Amino acid sequence: MHELLLFASVPAHQHHELLQQLAGLTAMQPRHRLERRLIFKAYRKPGLINTRVGASQDLQGNEMQRLNKMLNGGMFYTQVVGPLDESDFGLNRSSAGDPDAAMSGTEELPTNGPTYSYENQPWKLEFRDIPEAGTRSAVTARLMASSSLPKGDISTPMTAWGYSFVSEYVVEGDIFVLDDIVIFLHRVLNYPTEPQSHEPRRELPPLSDMVLLERSGSYVLQASITVQDGGNQEMMKTASQHLFGLREQLKSAVRLEQADRLSLDTRAK
Amino acid sequence: MSTTGVFFIPSNPNASTALATITERLHTALADNPIPIGRWALEHKLMRDTPSCLPASASQHRPQHPRYLQFLSLSYSPHHGFIYTSQPDATTQTGKANTPTPTPTPHPQPTPQQNPHHHHPADPTKGATLPVMTTLPLPSTSTLFSHFVYACQPFWCHRHTVAVPGGTVYDVGDFRVRIGDVRQTQPTARVRGTVVEIEWRGPSIVSTIVARTSPTASSREGNDAGDGLVTAEDIQDGDVEAEYRACAALIREFWAKLGVEGAREAILVPGVGTEVVGRLQRWRKGLVAVSGVNEEDPDPDAGVDVARQFMEIFRFNR
Repeated sequence: MHELLLFASVPAHQHHELLQQLAGLTAMQPRHRLERRLIFKAYRKPGLINTRVGASQDLQGNEMQRLNKMLNGGMFYTQVVGPLDESDFGLNRSSAGDPDAAMSGTEELPTNGPTYSYENQPWKLEFRDIPEAGTRSAVTARLMASSSLPKGDISTPMTAWGYSFVSEYVVEGDIFVLDDIVIFLHRVLNYPTEPQSHEPRRELPPLSDMVLLERSGSYVLQASITVQDGGNQEMMKTASQHLFGLREQLKSAVRLEQADRLSLDTRAK
Repeated sequence: MSTTGVFFIPSNPNASTALATITERLHTALADNPIPIGRWALEHKLMRDTPSCLPASASQHRPQHPRYLQFLSLSYSPHHGFIYTSQPDATTQTGKANTPTPTPTPHPQPTPQQNPHHHHPADPTKGATLPVMTTLPLPSTSTLFSHFVYACQPFWCHRHTVAVPGGTVYDVGDFRVRIGDVRQTQPTARVRGTVVEIEWRGPSIVSTIVARTSPTASSREGNDAGDGLVTAEDIQDGDVEAEYRACAALIREFWAKLGVEGAREAILVPGVGTEVVGRLQRWRKGLVAVSGVNEEDPDPDAGVDVARQFMEIFRFNR
């Protein structure tokens, strides 16, 4: 699957107005969305690669070459995304002193605490490749994969599959759909405290305690189209044209443009 | 989920398989007549960690024990596919998970792997190296497989794909038997042998536990009338283990009657019964309704035991 994208930066003061404009354009009410996003990095034991490419080609032939190529193949960061509800976040300070204090992992949830259940948290793997280079078209195009994952403790399978947990954040925003375009007006929230263990959090702090990544409170407008068959040039072209159509329609409000390719680099070194 | 055993009779690429013999024995060697009740199919993909695929001479850092990542789909588990992953063997170097021979006892654990209520990191003795079993809707398992092939080449290498394209299902007395020829489709097409799954469908504690703790158990009175009086307190964890051993004996006895030589067996493979014990423990705590019911998959645990057995067989030491 491929994903075609355009982005725009939206200052905080314009947010309300743009929401209304998008609601008018798409003839739908915004769908509010809160997501946990866990970042995992493909992990390889250091020192495993010491294969000297070319050294044993004569002896081992094609299979050896293929394996060597694989060993030096790309590795990526990938995200694991879980939908949240506002009620999943902790209550305000009055009821819970330090929300992280309870994280040490006892069986019982505090009775007055949040209703968030990590055991029942659904997850999806959202993989995005680095955007394609040298496309003549003025959109960001990248390979993607999206797959549901088991609920609850996601570290165990992810670790077994070769990924290690890096960090996590929360995305807050609104979704609109216009024909085949998904419009996501969102911003990134960071957790107020450092995690106590190197694992995904089992409890969430109050939503009001979350810290804006971009202090000014500005939003990102992301317009995306998913194309099942990225090899189909006709489909890719049509999708790009739809995005350009949206860019024209929103021209007076925001400037949708291609993202800097390297800023969306997901390769892990 | 019921108790099963899987047998595999390898064959040479150009010879005929044991399928005809087994089918014939099913009809002649048993007291009950086999009743054909339908078809079945499976597909299995094996990945192995890339460094371990290198010849030993090429890298002194070649890991001692290869790790595997296996994908299995069964036509009679239409709601999900199975993913079975060796754990990184950082804790123990013995690599129990990689032992290809079945161990004599199942390993019921206090914490079911699928649903660990809380992760106890300081528990290296119990099942730390048991492979991780996950079930996911079928489209997701194939997406994940493609993802690993594309994005994880340095650590996962696709070794082979085998399939049973068209097997036959028979009911024989209290057993259900699935037989079929196993064909390798990748990297080269060839016949690998014949696989036989024998399922015990008679009364058992395991089926009682599964029926009582099933997320779709709204029609609980629909179960055997005999179950009506059983409560979770009547069943000990050890009973489940004993039950698996007893059923294994029944299945082995059934297989012996067919008199087919040269089979590899997978019955009491590592991890078998993990989910059943976990469900029994939740049932005892009164937590019958496991997690929110998922529309896509009414029972994510269904078929995990037989999946483990197939995984054990289809690794083929590749």
